[in-house]
Amino acid sequence: MTWLWPALLLLVPLAGAVAIMFAPARQAKWIALLATTITFVHSVIVAVAFEHWHDGGFDLEAVVPSLGMESMGIAVRFGADSVSLLLVLLTTLLVPLCVWGSFSAISRRVKEYYGWLLVIEAAMVGVFLARDVIFFYVCFEFTLIPMYFLIAIWGSSNRSRACIKFFLFTFTGSLIALAGLLYVAWQYAEINAVFEPGGGSHLSWTFDIATLTSFAAGTLSASEQRWVLVALMAGFAVKVPLFPLHTWLPLAHTEAPAAGSVLLAGVLLKLGTYGLYRFVLPMVPVAVVEYAPVIAVISIIGILYAALICWVQDDLKRLVAYSSVSHLGFCVLGLVALNPLGAQGAVLYMINHGLSTGALFFLIGMIYERYHSRDMAELGGLAARMPVWGFFMVFFTLASVGLPGLNGFVSEMLCLIGTFTASATAEVYPGRLGPWYAAAAGVGMIFAAMYLLMMVGKVVFGPLKEPVVREPAQGRALPPDLCWREIGVLIPLAVLCLYLGFQPKPVTDAAAGSIETMLSAYPQEVRRYVARESADG
Amino acid sequence: MTLATLAMLAPRLAHEFPVADAVGPEWAAWILWLPALSTVLCGMCAALRVRNKLPAWITVSLLSGSFILTAMLFAGYEQPVTIHLVDWFGITWSDTTFVANFAFYVDRLTLLWMLFVTGLGTLIALYAGEYMEGDVGAGYSRFFAGISVFLFAMIALVMADNLLMLYLGWEGVGFASYWLIGYYYRKPSAVAAAKKAFIVNRIGDLGLALAVYLTWHAFGTVQYAELFAAVQANDFSAEAGGWSVQAIPFLLMLAAFGKSAQLPLYVWLPDAMEGPTPVSALIHAATMVTAGVFLLCRMFPLMVLNELALPVVAWVGGLTALFAASIAMAQHDIKRIFAYSTISQLGYMFLGVGLFTTAGAAYHVFTHAFFKAVLFLTAGAVMHGFAGQIDLRKVSGLRHMPGWRVTSYTMLYACMCLAGVPLVTNGFWSKDAIMAEAFAAVGPGYTALAIIALVTALLTAYYTFRVWFRVCAGPVHYEPGLEQHGDAAGGAFHPHPPRLVINLVLLTISAGAVASIFCAEWINGMIEGSTAAGGLPAVHEAHEGAGVWSDPHAWMPYVAGAVGLVGIAIAWYLHLANRTAADDLKRALQGNVVSAWLPRAMENKWYVDELYHGLIRAPLWLLGHILNLLDRYVLDMVIVDGVARIPRMLGRGFQPLANGVLQSYAVSMVGGVALIAILVFVMPEFLEMLNGWIGGAR
Repeated sequence: MTWLWPALLLLVPLAGAVAIMFAPARQAKWIALLATTITFVHSVIVAVAFEHWHDGGFDLEAVVPSLGMESMGIAVRFGADSVSLLLVLLTTLLVPLCVWGSFSAISRRVKEYYGWLLVIEAAMVGVFLARDVIFFYVCFEFTLIPMYFLIAIWGSSNRSRACIKFFLFTFTGSLIALAGLLYVAWQYAEINAVFEPGGGSHLSWTFDIATLTSFAAGTLSASEQRWVLVALMAGFAVKVPLFPLHTWLPLAHTEAPAAGSVLLAGVLLKLGTYGLYRFVLPMVPVAVVEYAPVIAVISIIGILYAALICWVQDDLKRLVAYSSVSHLGFCVLGLVALNPLGAQGAVLYMINHGLSTGALFFLIGMIYERYHSRDMAELGGLAARMPVWGFFMVFFTLASVGLPGLNGFVSEMLCLIGTFTASATAEVYPGRLGPWYAAAAGVGMIFAAMYLLMMVGKVVFGPLKEPVVREPAQGRALPPDLCWREIGVLIPLAVLCLYLGFQPKPVTDAAAGSIETMLSAYPQEVRRYVARESADG
Repeated sequence: MTLATLAMLAPRLAHEFPVADAVGPEWAAWILWLPALSTVLCGMCAALRVRNKLPAWITVSLLSGSFILTAMLFAGYEQPVTIHLVDWFGITWSDTTFVANFAFYVDRLTLLWMLFVTGLGTLIALYAGEYMEGDVGAGYSRFFAGISVFLFAMIALVMADNLLMLYLGWEGVGFASYWLIGYYYRKPSAVAAAKKAFIVNRIGDLGLALAVYLTWHAFGTVQYAELFAAVQANDFSAEAGGWSVQAIPFLLMLAAFGKSAQLPLYVWLPDAMEGPTPVSALIHAATMVTAGVFLLCRMFPLMVLNELALPVVAWVGGLTALFAASIAMAQHDIKRIFAYSTISQLGYMFLGVGLFTTAGAAYHVFTHAFFKAVLFLTAGAVMHGFAGQIDLRKVSGLRHMPGWRVTSYTMLYACMCLAGVPLVTNGFWSKDAIMAEAFAAVGPGYTALAIIALVTALLTAYYTFRVWFRVCAGPVHYEPGLEQHGDAAGGAFHPHPPRLVINLVLLTISAGAVASIFCAEWINGMIEGSTAAGGLPAVHEAHEGAGVWSDPHAWMPYVAGAVGLVGIAIAWYLHLANRTAADDLKRALQGNVVSAWLPRAMENKWYVDELYHGLIRAPLWLLGHILNLLDRYVLDMVIVDGVARIPRMLGRGFQPLANGVLQSYAVSMVGGVALIAILVFVMPEFLEMLNGWIGGAR
């Protein structure tokens, strides 16, 4: 029954969802809060007991037995290394905050709402804990369904278009990614086919991620790797999202309820970068080395393009949504730098972006609950009315801008320094990028200051401007400034932003082992590629 | 000195200063922690809505603690040391470690800067305690939290033992500046000014960030001790990933020009005067804006990596000095005049660094910190007393009014310092050190540069005394500003002169200014024992017997003194003896077709803001809108939705086939088989083609 220990991270939220179905509506939020808090505590215990914080190994490895799919090689296989576990912790922290933060915002179809929040938590945790391709894929896709309903039922005016676009876009992408993964599994099954004495043979299927990863990296030809790269990128780049596959994001964010936006930005986008980290980079090193500059250029275009678009937005949520596109460009850039500094930056970026952008969506949600508007033309100088809210808004904006001392700086700096040093001549970890890539992406730092300070300059500062409230607030009336519950939602995030800004070392120490394992093939592959290039030219 | 000698100097320079290899006392960590503690306590005061002057007292006492500890560190100083506070970055792979901790690098340069930063910081916080009293209970705690954050960041910047902590301080002071410029956050102009300051600084910050990355790439460390040791041993890769280490001085320069408001990035500083006046005195005159000079002094061993770097610094400094002085002449807002004068004086400092006289530059930083602080604080006293009045045309004869004596005469002394009145003012000696060097040095166009410096000195004396003669001298007359405080709101307006604390602070800092006249030798010593060593001393003994005219250091004091007095005399004639003459002059200029543009262009700051707006901001804004529309309508609605429509269109296309007629099913079946056959035969080639397209030639 060792499998139960990691599985409980999924089962507790699911059990909570089932309990909500049978409980009265007014208790739904408390059940959800209880279940998610238990999960959070559980994940912390798991993290404390975790044995591989410093060596990149996997722990919590367990297979759920006798599900009848063994002959196919499919299994519900758990396992986590330090990076997975960090992302699990991010998820299990954000979901209870989402539940708590929704107490006043949701008054309609309450049971379903909290039920879906619990289901999506189980799916997200599943993605990070999966060590089996099919299990991973099921969880990966299953995050779509709760999010679809969260947008479709509790979203704002244009929600039907948003949720359909969100669903189709990401679903199509991940189908192609599945095809890529299946191709790898199929190749594995064929090559390792068992010949029977009678002359026949049967394919030996497995979907174990570790097996397939080392197989793909070692056995697939360069052109096969290219195809697999393209397929995987189709899935993960949509999720990240990379330019030009990002158009679903602003729409989904603007229409989603606050908690939906928080989870979307905080965790769901990380599924894309986690996919790059877990699958693309280890599986197809030859193709990644070849395409690293292309992916980097796409990321840089995304950084600058989205930043300029942010600058002219009127809708707060749209602005922050585009800022995610811009920010995650840095994260992907750090990954394709193919050296430890860049990868450290990328891993930290996943966590930091989840914290600061998640908090920004909470803050915008709090405004929306009060004024039913996200329009910067209608809102202004709110610090005069809501000083506490203004404080947090400025704080998280600065975290997002990348002010040193807060978390965003650490990850952005590491991504850029990784990119800068990722030149072909670097000694230990040569790469295919270099100073010019970092300089171009660095312009994004200036743009980030431009659009984010524009946002706080309009909404937080300046003369007070409040919209005429269009409809009465649903449920209990909120005080003008934040109530203790709302402050309580923000404080853990603020504390973490500050802590990670001054003490990134615990995280970087933890991620170091996993990163070295993930990058192990690269120095050699890059050198080989560079040598071949110079021989050709 | 020719360029060749500059290049020859480079290795020599690198050997001339001691590099820290000892460990300093642990209690010094409190120099940084006290302002941090002060921030937290002031933040708690804000949260608890404290309605008295507690935040001011917290800040003043903790900052003075910082100052005392700095003084103790200075008293016990023997050799450069490092002091470890806490770990920050530490990423290890293979046999490499990327380290950057919270740690201090203490050499004489550090101590020199720290002494006036913490000293003036404490005094100005004390002044602000009275100045900001109208905001007690409202923004008072927020203000002092901001001052504390600033001191925290500035101390981190100056004391850092690695480039990353310096960067933290660098952006930190920018943020504190954003916070305090935007203190009156309901005022749109203050918010815009704060934003502008941060963004323009960010452009410089990008230069610093890239310099840090390149340093790491080339030297394999960002810690000063290792870095300077590597420079001294010439142990680094000259080319790193396609960029040469020769780029480092230029990237550092970009950073310094941003923070210290030099051409072309000076535009934020005049607008920064939207902040409360103590902020202008502390951050935008005495301390933060000298961070750029500090950076170049700290990184002086790297500044000589390219022989053209220092001449560029000198030229940018000289041109900025002249340019800003020309604008200052035509402004009416006292604080803006002083702001442009700060830019202009910072130009002198960069001129000094560029001419190798780091000691002269540091001396001017030191003297400027005192007299410019006094100038701003007296301007603040006027604003405080006249309900925010800051137009020099609307207050006159201050020295004849009761209670304004200290303000008027400390301002007079500070004006004399800025104008460079001979012998009795510190500004005379420090500016002289730089200007003499400009005549003595040999370099690209340095003679022209020296003349520019001299002309700027004339303009400086003029615009400085224009302020004093207008505001403090002449007949008594005043108009109140727009910020009517409670007691004056009812009846007629009465100016309220500054009380004890403000006067005391003004007198103390003025005394500091007097004392700094005698600091030149001391500063020479401070610079010699630091990373900025190798430059030329701030005071020269005139060469014996070589003839007065052959050595600029010998005749410069007379010339500079005379120029300053001429400037003051012109100001006296135009703004005190015959005030209508100034207007007549302006009218005459405007009346003449040839010169009509001049006064207007100077008043409008040479239209640089408009130029930047038109060349940079507006095109970017337009591009943003175009991209926004493209994103929303072309990329999303045409391409993405178009692709999404393909399956439906295909479905529509095949719909007629499902018409229930048996023969047509048969036909479509045959068609299907044919299609499959085509796919089977053609597909491999198609895939091959696609493979070649996606996978390249291999």
